[in-house]
Amino acid sequence: MANREFQSGRRYIISFLIGTAIFILVFALTYSISYFEFRRISSLQEGLTYDIFKNKLDYSFFDEKICIDESFDKISRDLGFQGRIIDDLEKKLGKDNEDVLFRKKFYTLIELEHFEFINLLNERCNGNVQTILFFYSNSNPNLEISEDAGRLLDVVHSRNRGLIIYSFDIDLDSDLIEKLKEKYDIEGSPTLIVNGEVLVENPQNILDIEKHLSIT
Amino acid sequence: MNFTIILIFLNYPRKQEKNKMVEFITIVIYLSIYVGLVSTTFYILSFLAYKKKKRLLYTDDELPLVSVIIPAYNEEKSIAKTIKSISKSDYPFFEVIVVDDGSKDNTLKIARKFKSEKVSIFHKENGGKGTALNLGIKKAKGKIIFTMDADTTVDPQSMKKMVRFFKDKEVMSVNPAMVINKPKNILQRIQYIEYVMGLFLRKAFASLRAIYVSPGAFSAYRKSFFDKYGGYDEGNITEDLEMALRIQYHGYHTENCPEAPAYTTAPRTFKALTIQRRRWYFGLTKNLWNYRKIISLRYGDLGAFVIPTAIISIFFAVFVTAYLFLKTIFSVRDNLLFLQSINFDFVNALDFNSYVIERFLFLFFTKPVVIFILLFIFILGFYIYYASRKIGRLSGVLVNLLFFFLFFAVLFGFWWIVSLFYVLSSRQIRWR
Repeated sequence: MANREFQSGRRYIISFLIGTAIFILVFALTYSISYFEFRRISSLQEGLTYDIFKNKLDYSFFDEKICIDESFDKISRDLGFQGRIIDDLEKKLGKDNEDVLFRKKFYTLIELEHFEFINLLNERCNGNVQTILFFYSNSNPNLEISEDAGRLLDVVHSRNRGLIIYSFDIDLDSDLIEKLKEKYDIEGSPTLIVNGEVLVENPQNILDIEKHLSIT
Repeated sequence: MNFTIILIFLNYPRKQEKNKMVEFITIVIYLSIYVGLVSTTFYILSFLAYKKKKRLLYTDDELPLVSVIIPAYNEEKSIAKTIKSISKSDYPFFEVIVVDDGSKDNTLKIARKFKSEKVSIFHKENGGKGTALNLGIKKAKGKIIFTMDADTTVDPQSMKKMVRFFKDKEVMSVNPAMVINKPKNILQRIQYIEYVMGLFLRKAFASLRAIYVSPGAFSAYRKSFFDKYGGYDEGNITEDLEMALRIQYHGYHTENCPEAPAYTTAPRTFKALTIQRRRWYFGLTKNLWNYRKIISLRYGDLGAFVIPTAIISIFFAVFVTAYLFLKTIFSVRDNLLFLQSINFDFVNALDFNSYVIERFLFLFFTKPVVIFILLFIFILGFYIYYASRKIGRLSGVLVNLLFFFLFFAVLFGFWWIVSLFYVLSSRQIRWR
């Protein structure tokens, strides 16, 4: 048997330090990307809020005739995208991140503001914009089935242009969410409220949702 | 009965169990990445340190007589090319010993056409590569012995470059730069990158005096080592690997000569490649077990770091492959169920818009695993750059690299799973 020397003990220490530094740096890098995305989304959210409030004021305060047009589909898509990204940011930056939680609450607020406006337009303009309130959970044990329902809704949205989907995290610590849950008798997730009336729990097929859209 | 199985499949794993499993797997994956980063850094530093070392090298006047042993079994398609290739060597004093190991084809007949003062041909009953090599060693007159597969070719300068290293009395073996000859299909392209990557690692290992695997296709040995410690282990299915470990076990070491290319033919089919790898990995496991005493601080970097990290990386590869396999199955199942839930409305399921792409990019680049993979691709690029400087321009390297990254890790894990199954179930494996 041999008794062989180590070539360099120092090399082990340097490798450990460099390897550890790179490992930490990569996590720091991905965290930074998430942070920059958060900043970008915050800015986009403010722009969207401005558009929604402006539309609403134009209509209710200045009596402008802005019955449903194509711009609502764009707003609907913007809302959907921002909601998803905020959920992603929550997973990346942590569920206790105050900044993200604030954005999420703010997002809930603008969604409701828009939902109310759409209801108003539907009423006064004789419009037929269909809406779905989607109550989901962003944490276990209902995370996965909520994601499945979210995928179903993407397809439903794609098949029904003009449909607006508003998503609400039922686990969010917010008075607004509690009031919504109470108002619509929401007990779990995923649950949908179609056109403000029909409650659908844990849909398994697009037809479970679309059959309520078609009857309106 | 079948219906019950389908139900179990559809319901398994339960959500909570699955979440715990995913957390555990995530930890294992990041742990393997961390080990990979530290060991890669260590090997890069060792590689760089190699240049600073002064080596004892034979001058042209000191070069000893060399014997090249070519064991051959049913190699009628390639034996002529191999003998021609080695005969063109610029080495001043060498003999070629072809040992036909009871071939059933025309190998012997073709080899005999090359018989000359320099080239001797021997024939024996079939007994395996180890027996053919041992016969060749007995007949050899050279102080240095090259073993060469009958489907391998070499550069004319390779022998001379390799023999120079034997001036150092501690050196018992020298490895060339093994390269896959003209890779054509995907599997050969994957092996091509694997071999190229091996050139870098071999140099790092040489710097640590820790080469523990020698290519059976073309390697050089000091004959006195065979005289003192015996020839090849004839019952061993990876006799070249056993020899490399034996050299380390007795306190000697193997050098590496990346400037000496040798070209081997890679298996073309998945079956042939799997059989080859099963033999290699089965043999590695058995031989490492036989020489397990090497895994200790007494063997310096080899015993304390190189072999232990190799074993750890094998376990990680097996684990990750099994995970990816199961994940793929469940992912296919989930997507089928999803498609069923949308009544197979493919058009609307693929509703691509800028937001979908934007979100995909965000999720992609905020996954640390992705950044680590990009980092490892960059490191592999460095390995390839090094290889291209040593053995010349590497054609089609980008395509090969793509295939390597897509498939190698999974194939590596798969081969190990198969090999470990054979080891654990005490099954026997033959050379062919």
